[in-house]
Amino acid sequence: MLNYSFSEEQKILIELITKIGEEYIKPYALKWDEEEILEERPLKALADADLFGIIIPSEYGGLGWGCLEMCLAIEKLSYYCAGISTTYAATFLGSYPIILFGNKEQKEKYLPEIAKGHKICAFALTEPQAGSDAFAIKTIAKKEGDFYYINGMKHFITNGGIADIYIVIALTDPSKGARGASAFLIEKNDPGFSIGKKEKKLGLRSSMTTELLFNDCKIPKNRLIGKEGMGFIIALKTLDFGRCGVGAQAIGIAQAAMEVSLKYAFYRIQFGQPVYNFQAVNHTFAEMATKIEAARALVYNVAKYIDNGAKDVSGVSSMAKYFATDIAMWVTERAIQMMGGFGYMRDYPVQKYFRDAKCLQIYEGTNEIQKNIIARELLKYYK
Amino acid sequence: MNKIIVCIKGVPIPGTIKVDSETHTLKRESLELILNPNDRVAIEMAIRLKEIYDFKVIVISMGPPNVIPILKHAYALGCDEMILLSDKIFAGSDTLATSLVLAKAIQTLSPYSLILTGLKSIDGETAQVPPEIGALLEIPSITNVKKLFKQNGFWIIIRENEYGEEELELSEPFVASINSHTFDYLRPPSLKRLLEVKKIEPVIFTANELGLSPEQVGLKGSPTQVINIFEKKIEAKGTIMEGSPQELAEKLIRILKTKDLI
Amino acid sequence: MVLEEVKLENLEKGHILAFGECYKKMIHPSSFEILTPLKEISESLRKKLILICLTASLEETENFEDLKKCLADEIWFILNPELKDFKDDLWARVLAEIVKNSRPYGFFFPATIIGTSLAPRLAGILKLGLCAHVNSLELKDNQIIMARPTYGENVIAKLISKSVPVMATISLGTFPINYKNKEPLIKKVIFPETFSWESKLKIKRFFPTKKKITKLSAAKVIVAGGRGLKNKENFQKLFELAKLLNAEVGATRPVCYEGWAEEERMIGVSGVTVRPKVYIGFGISGALQHTVGMENSEFIIAVNTDKEAPLVKIANVAFITDASILLDILIEKLKTMK
Repeated sequence: MLNYSFSEEQKILIELITKIGEEYIKPYALKWDEEEILEERPLKALADADLFGIIIPSEYGGLGWGCLEMCLAIEKLSYYCAGISTTYAATFLGSYPIILFGNKEQKEKYLPEIAKGHKICAFALTEPQAGSDAFAIKTIAKKEGDFYYINGMKHFITNGGIADIYIVIALTDPSKGARGASAFLIEKNDPGFSIGKKEKKLGLRSSMTTELLFNDCKIPKNRLIGKEGMGFIIALKTLDFGRCGVGAQAIGIAQAAMEVSLKYAFYRIQFGQPVYNFQAVNHTFAEMATKIEAARALVYNVAKYIDNGAKDVSGVSSMAKYFATDIAMWVTERAIQMMGGFGYMRDYPVQKYFRDAKCLQIYEGTNEIQKNIIARELLKYYK
Repeated sequence: MNKIIVCIKGVPIPGTIKVDSETHTLKRESLELILNPNDRVAIEMAIRLKEIYDFKVIVISMGPPNVIPILKHAYALGCDEMILLSDKIFAGSDTLATSLVLAKAIQTLSPYSLILTGLKSIDGETAQVPPEIGALLEIPSITNVKKLFKQNGFWIIIRENEYGEEELELSEPFVASINSHTFDYLRPPSLKRLLEVKKIEPVIFTANELGLSPEQVGLKGSPTQVINIFEKKIEAKGTIMEGSPQELAEKLIRILKTKDLI
Repeated sequence: MVLEEVKLENLEKGHILAFGECYKKMIHPSSFEILTPLKEISESLRKKLILICLTASLEETENFEDLKKCLADEIWFILNPELKDFKDDLWARVLAEIVKNSRPYGFFFPATIIGTSLAPRLAGILKLGLCAHVNSLELKDNQIIMARPTYGENVIAKLISKSVPVMATISLGTFPINYKNKEPLIKKVIFPETFSWESKLKIKRFFPTKKKITKLSAAKVIVAGGRGLKNKENFQKLFELAKLLNAEVGATRPVCYEGWAEEERMIGVSGVTVRPKVYIGFGISGALQHTVGMENSEFIIAVNTDKEAPLVKIANVAFITDASILLDILIEKLKTMK
């Protein structure tokens, strides 16, 4: 209900995504979810619409826009299908390290292709024994001459198997712990690199999640991003930027869930009147709408804060992620309740929103980790 | 650079046209026009050919200024230049008069390689303009084309009719209307082009600039004329059955039995 | 067969011409359909009705016998080996010569793909008016008045053409094929030596359609589906029902555009007109585009959730329910009955 004064460009962006959502996504989203498939069509549409280039600097063929535009795009896309928006947002996550830390040569080689949507990216940090405890990674990159040899595995990697470019965090000096990690750019056809198991998920089922296996994966040394030892700085910075995107996903899903259930409540007649007339129902919607607006306001403001060049964004981006995703979880659960049995049926999309929303509380740092970050930042800020 | 000309039409949003029961004239509930969906296929064909053979794609439409957003939409889809043929005296043109205006404008763009159109508009549904343009320009016209490519300096075309598919060879220029089911995928507009087209406007040609007199176009220049237009009113005549799907299925089967279908 | 020959410049003038589509060894049945309304009109105007056929040779035409009982008073053949393939430019030039020399009062085409490619090209060459997909023809004060639905809505437009010959393409299946006892006079039109039979089109190959052409217009029972069936999977079930009822499957325009059914199954203005004994419409609201193509069915059954839907109103019996659910139950019950 709150009207944000978007620029002409931002309005064009929102209108374009709406068009793409209506034509290429909406009619198929439930089918993709049911069949657990990712079709090429919606990605091709996003690519042809230049939407993979939003945050890529214009000198590399993108639009050079900021975090707010990225959030608007992700929010609108999530409104139609959070699986597609996850695929989309994860490619940004994989391109941030190149944008922020890549050298000119790397940028020139990869960014134009990413902007065109010809190359999809993935960001790989998590390992079986290193989830929230990201410093526990075991994947090793050993330098020999002009090459690095990577050994180990990553798991739960969004866009695994469909990405062309993987940003992989591996230890170049295991003795130094976190300071011994580095970021590498792996191409899908690199020798010794392969895709492992494809995960079966509760939600986000049109987004692909797999293991990545590195078996003496040999890459030229110019695939190192930044310097040796910068791996975790790169990873944390990337996640700082990415978390806003997860918040944006949450608003999109919540908005969709509210609209579907609201429409139902307006038309569903029980006891001779629309169920919306009952206070238990309409107060729930009042709460939903208010919470969504609050989450949106937070996400947009954090995005703008990032776009204004702020350095200390960890705490606030964690707030945006944790707050918005918790609200999405609450809204989607209530949306099912408002629709009763219909909400529970797989013919209707609200149950999908509910399953999709759950993942947002977990990936890119669980909401518990987000609170750790916020708490740590509070300590610095109010010291 | 060789040119492809795509003729497009802005059509009313389906469902927004009603007839005024007293005056028997069309009432438009909305002045907003949309790109004729079949023309999007012609644009897609043009853009794919542009990607292969490096054509310049010129999109052209006849209509009032509210067609401009449609031309801009075509630009965002990948067309390079926009031309609007607009003049008060064009109003009321039938297919022949429309084809004449388009043909005159296309002549000024000569030389060109191809003229592409959609199969038909979803409002008039005549499918007559492409062959009429071809006849007026004295170039070949081929309808319902599914495939187009170059081979040894000629164009190879696959067109479909009731009998099957025919493979044709011919040299440019020619007019082709494109089968509406040619592609599985039609591209969306591009964000960059949407931003670009905000700053540019189509070139506009009037009747005078095209050397057309009022006798040749509009109502005066149209041999066919609508003498009456009315909405078909339907009165209910049959039996209405309601109930559970199970009951209804039983009843339906009984009816089918009386008709000797079972 | 020896035909009476007549030189192009000696053709009789002022009559009504109809295009007889002779292609791939067949005379398209729609060419006979359009003779039905034209016969009435030509008789009222006291003009001859003449069928114009372009083809390479008369040999091997499978349904040639039908020509001999068709409603035309005369049939004019233009025979040339170059007419073996449909070349839009050449065929239109040939017809333009026929029109220039016989100065007909009207020239009508079936709205086949060839008919709708050829008629506008001819109209363009001669700068004549042309009405498209007409589904009714009447005569008022010796003027031919044509009608057609338009704007994809429930709007019908009545049209006239000020230019002579009056030209129109006529919707497929709109009129029944009638025959008569008297055999038409068959003539061969001799073109002058100077006429060029060249075309800019070269037909290199022909791939006959593998799809069985649906016999919709001749079907006794039709089960048709519209958007109310919700998706392609539900629509596909109509084929199962059609098998059980020995019926053909028809479709509405939006459904064909969605790709649920081939365009040959489209009933209505831009598709075929049907007149089966029983028509059942599942989830079809009944836009005029569709109903003009089926309203003459003997018995109409509508299945729709909307009591106010136009098809429900024109139906003999209407079932108010979700069409996809009823379809499922119906198929199941019919299967157990067999």
